[in-house]
Amino acid sequence: MRKFLSAKALIGLALVLTVVAVAILAPFFIAPERATQMVMSARLQPPSLAYPLGTDQLGRDLLARVMLGAQTSLMIAVLAVGMSIVLGLPLGIISGYFGGRIDNVLMRIIDALLSFPALLLALTISAVLGPNLQNTIIAIGIAFTPFLARIVRGEALRVVQMPYVEAARAAGTRDVQMILRHILPNIMPALIVQATISLAFAVLAEAALSFLGLGTQPPMASWGLMIQASRQFLDLAPWTALVPGAALAITILGLNLLGDVLRDVLDPRVR
Amino acid sequence: MAYLVNRLMSVALTLFLISIVTFGITNILPGDVAMMIMGTQSNPEALEGLRQSLGLNDPLLVQYGRWIGGMLSGNWGESLLFNEPIAPLIAQKVLASGLIVVMTMMMALAFAIPLGVWAARHRDRWQDTTSSTVALLGLSMPDFFIGIMLILLFAAGLGWLPSSGFVDPAEDFLGAVRHAFMPSLALALGLMAHLTRMTRSAMMGILNQEFIRVARAKGLPERTVVWGYALPNAIGPVMTVAGLQIGYLFGSIIVIESLFSYTGMGWLTYQALLNRDIPLIQSTIFVIAAVVMLVNLAVDLLYRVIDPRIRLG
Repeated sequence: MRKFLSAKALIGLALVLTVVAVAILAPFFIAPERATQMVMSARLQPPSLAYPLGTDQLGRDLLARVMLGAQTSLMIAVLAVGMSIVLGLPLGIISGYFGGRIDNVLMRIIDALLSFPALLLALTISAVLGPNLQNTIIAIGIAFTPFLARIVRGEALRVVQMPYVEAARAAGTRDVQMILRHILPNIMPALIVQATISLAFAVLAEAALSFLGLGTQPPMASWGLMIQASRQFLDLAPWTALVPGAALAITILGLNLLGDVLRDVLDPRVR
Repeated sequence: MAYLVNRLMSVALTLFLISIVTFGITNILPGDVAMMIMGTQSNPEALEGLRQSLGLNDPLLVQYGRWIGGMLSGNWGESLLFNEPIAPLIAQKVLASGLIVVMTMMMALAFAIPLGVWAARHRDRWQDTTSSTVALLGLSMPDFFIGIMLILLFAAGLGWLPSSGFVDPAEDFLGAVRHAFMPSLALALGLMAHLTRMTRSAMMGILNQEFIRVARAKGLPERTVVWGYALPNAIGPVMTVAGLQIGYLFGSIIVIESLFSYTGMGWLTYQALLNRDIPLIQSTIFVIAAVVMLVNLAVDLLYRVIDPRIRLG
């Protein structure tokens, strides 16, 4: 198992690092115009030397678009998950640490929010606010908040019962200090695991939103948009769907593998 | 009994909160129903008159009361997009999606249970690795991308299945299943990952227990031990996960039904969102959230009936 685990960790890390490197470096190598530049004489070209991954229905270079798409995808995912942490972490800690009536009220609201499928919530918020880049981030961030708050609360509940918390309380530690010095550091491992897994879901959610026209808007390079555009030309040019689809699968697989490994390493309950 | 009463009270409270969230989200919309009926270029006075007659100038609390009153009495209003009463429209679409949900769950369990059992029986061997790799791949492919690949294979390539559309099961059951097949398969491949993992870990726990050793010592065939003795004891947690996935499924169904132009609940929700049909948005998302919550309740209660160990008073 050790061997498989480390292979899993290596593959996951390699995939994630590759995608991150592409996302960060792509703008330095590829002029943004290259992804939006249309060459009408080179529409729906199969992969060739000039276009290693072929071109789309408007003669745009798929390699350039898929690389810039990595940036869009990761940026939205990171900001959305960051937003759900900013919102969900305090909610979860307050609920789990103080317990009682506050916990009851907060958890009822969280439960009600959890009854809405996250993707439905994100789609609705994005449709309501008007689909664009910024609102896509807000929509996914809000949709993921209840999950995060739930996990953090569970962890906070667990940590609060630890002897060291009791000892600190007996020593007269105040609530704010207790949360910052004892609770927060001890829920970090679970938070990191959850954030990594959430990133995978956020990449997926962004692609789904854009695919449905309720996320990032053309002509921006986004994998979901690219798959959407490929639908009309599937039998003529299947690579227009395969390229962004493979990029998505690689990113999500990498994040899932990394999340799994982090859980094995960090989560005390499965150790 | 006390448990049931408690549980039902909490269901009522959650439903109430769901209605507030639904109403709240749709009321932060810029623009309102009146604007959507008359268009943005309409005469401001006429617009104001319509607002007045629709009660859009009333305080939010009054508007909420009117909306929830209508929902409770079965008067769900009319869709602006379809010009039809909403309640019968939704009833029809829920049935269409019901077929997909049932087929998806059947397919997902049909893949996941054998795969999970296989992995558990060969723990830490190549079979285990293969099973978790397959599950991870399913989890990592967006379902709409799987859907497109299925269209490419079964519709465009082999020509075995229709690439899109919906057929009413009451009229032509086989046709309905054929149309629901690809959407369900695309969803099932995404769902099976968690179910496979759950089956694997539940089976590993059971296979280590005394009664399994006794069954083996009695000389029962391995097949009987695994499928007849171990699996029935491991199925509970798998079913719980399956129940929890219903929520996830109702999110994915929006994308998949739109991809396959399968006119069910997901498609209807998407149309409502795309066209900002506020009354329809409110009803569809409320119904979906309520269904998700009720399914979870049903799974919970069923689990208690099946498993005497957690039957509480």
